[in-house]
Amino acid sequence: MKEVHYELAVIGGGPAGIEAAITAAEAGVNTVLIDRYPRPGGQYYKELPMQFSVHHRTKAETEGDMLIRLLSGVELTQYFNTLVWGIFPKENDNRWLIALASNDAPKLIVADSVILATGAYDSPMPFPGWTLPGVISAGAALILLKTQRILPGTRVLVTGSGPLLLSVAAHLIEGGAEVVGVCEAARPFWRAIPYLPTILGQTHRIEEGIKYFSTILKAHSPYRIGWSVVEARGKDKVEEAVIARLDKSLSPVLSSKQVISVDTIVSGYGLVPNNYLSRMIGCKHSYLPEKGGFVPERDDTMQTSMPNVYVVGDAAGIGGAELARLEGRVAGVAVAGRLGRLGHATAQWEYGKLRSLLRRQQRFAEMLGKVFLRGLDLFNLSTDDTIICRCEEITRREIRSAVEMGARSVTEVKMLTRAGMGNCQGRMCELSVRNAVMAFTGQSFLDMDKGGAYSIRPPLEPMTVKELAKAAEELSE
Amino acid sequence: MRIEKNTSLLPEVKRGRKVQILIDGQPIEAFEGESVAAAMMAAGLRVFRITAKHKTPRGMYCGMGVCFECLVTVNGVRNVRACLTPVADGMMVETREEGMA
Repeated sequence: MKEVHYELAVIGGGPAGIEAAITAAEAGVNTVLIDRYPRPGGQYYKELPMQFSVHHRTKAETEGDMLIRLLSGVELTQYFNTLVWGIFPKENDNRWLIALASNDAPKLIVADSVILATGAYDSPMPFPGWTLPGVISAGAALILLKTQRILPGTRVLVTGSGPLLLSVAAHLIEGGAEVVGVCEAARPFWRAIPYLPTILGQTHRIEEGIKYFSTILKAHSPYRIGWSVVEARGKDKVEEAVIARLDKSLSPVLSSKQVISVDTIVSGYGLVPNNYLSRMIGCKHSYLPEKGGFVPERDDTMQTSMPNVYVVGDAAGIGGAELARLEGRVAGVAVAGRLGRLGHATAQWEYGKLRSLLRRQQRFAEMLGKVFLRGLDLFNLSTDDTIICRCEEITRREIRSAVEMGARSVTEVKMLTRAGMGNCQGRMCELSVRNAVMAFTGQSFLDMDKGGAYSIRPPLEPMTVKELAKAAEELSE
Repeated sequence: MRIEKNTSLLPEVKRGRKVQILIDGQPIEAFEGESVAAAMMAAGLRVFRITAKHKTPRGMYCGMGVCFECLVTVNGVRNVRACLTPVADGMMVETREEGMA
């Protein structure tokens, strides 16, 4: 078997992974950085395509450029366009086998330590009509606007929760779209009051928010607090959005319903940590809704319950790019320190420096988590006819029938209905199916090891039998 | 629709070379550096596939390769994610292929 050895494998080249890789590699750790996409930066620092050129860069673009330039100056191995489709413990060894699918990377890597920095994706929010073409996630809208300079639609409703809505709406307006409304589902902004000092300390974020908000006001786009889309209507694509006020139980108030003609609905109900690799490895996870769902348990150095496996950034709980970068540095210091590449004093000094910065960002993330809502909080916006599993086209009614037949976990629902068996491997439906099982069985909590989440098996993304056979052939050599 | 304006949030860009791709035989304009999904959205094409079971239309949703809703056939290769596939001159894309393995 041909295997290439590294002291550290960093998986995911966004803000957290880049910082982790730079920190460890600069201390002399033999590091490999692996990313699924063609270029470093992740979703947050996603660069313009190589073929595009620009005279002026925005602040975020400059920030990303600087980080990526820093990365290119450090001695380490980098593989892009490379999918990690499995991580396995090496027999009788404390190391990890990492299986890759790529054109130029080796098929198998052995690493002493692994830092997972796999980021997050938009929280799926099932509501009637959400599968219609023209209903897109906030992430998709921002990718189109910022990195492709394409307007996703001309009459757009922006709906969801959190500050990202302001960014999406402002970019849409500047790009030339008519934003017919911004619906912010969360209402009790008083939950932010205890965090006022934290918020006021983040002047750059306040400035950004005000800038976006004034763009929205100038465009006369109504910003509704405590409102959400409740239905998308249309034949082959979305033509109308139905919006409504939400009551205390986050159910739509029928009498408040309004119908707006649109060609696009942008749905931005928070993010879900991309935790599939830490789950495949068997790290312990706990359910923290304010962090986006199931998140790996970690110590102060970002190490999980599995030895030498670290998770940093949004993959470990939604916290944003600034927190992600700090966490990446902490994990990088931890790995370098353990290998003796940083003196004990240096490592402690680095930790001390990072810890106070971390606390500030953690508190800000905690505030966002408490004030705003996620897809998983808004189960009441689905109806029995709503598709929950988009891939296998399974409705909420079918999940209800499965529960009536005795299913008590998402895994049992999966076996009975095929929900979660499609191409996305459950990423779009898992938390909604969990909600449905809890609602229909009257359970108030369903833990991961009690069947509250799908079991994750390789390959992590659909691969053709041909690709798998080729990989198996090389592995057995 | 492509954004041609120059604003503070979206400074003007110079796109890559202009190319042509075929969507179900119909030529559309695209620029190197764009994804198939972006070029289709720019051309106002929203339907990327028809589902196997209920024959309902689906389009781009997550935009980053997670949801698998934007699957199209590219140059005869089925089940390709349009959001992760860069355009190339003369590329043939089919959207109405039914069914998924």
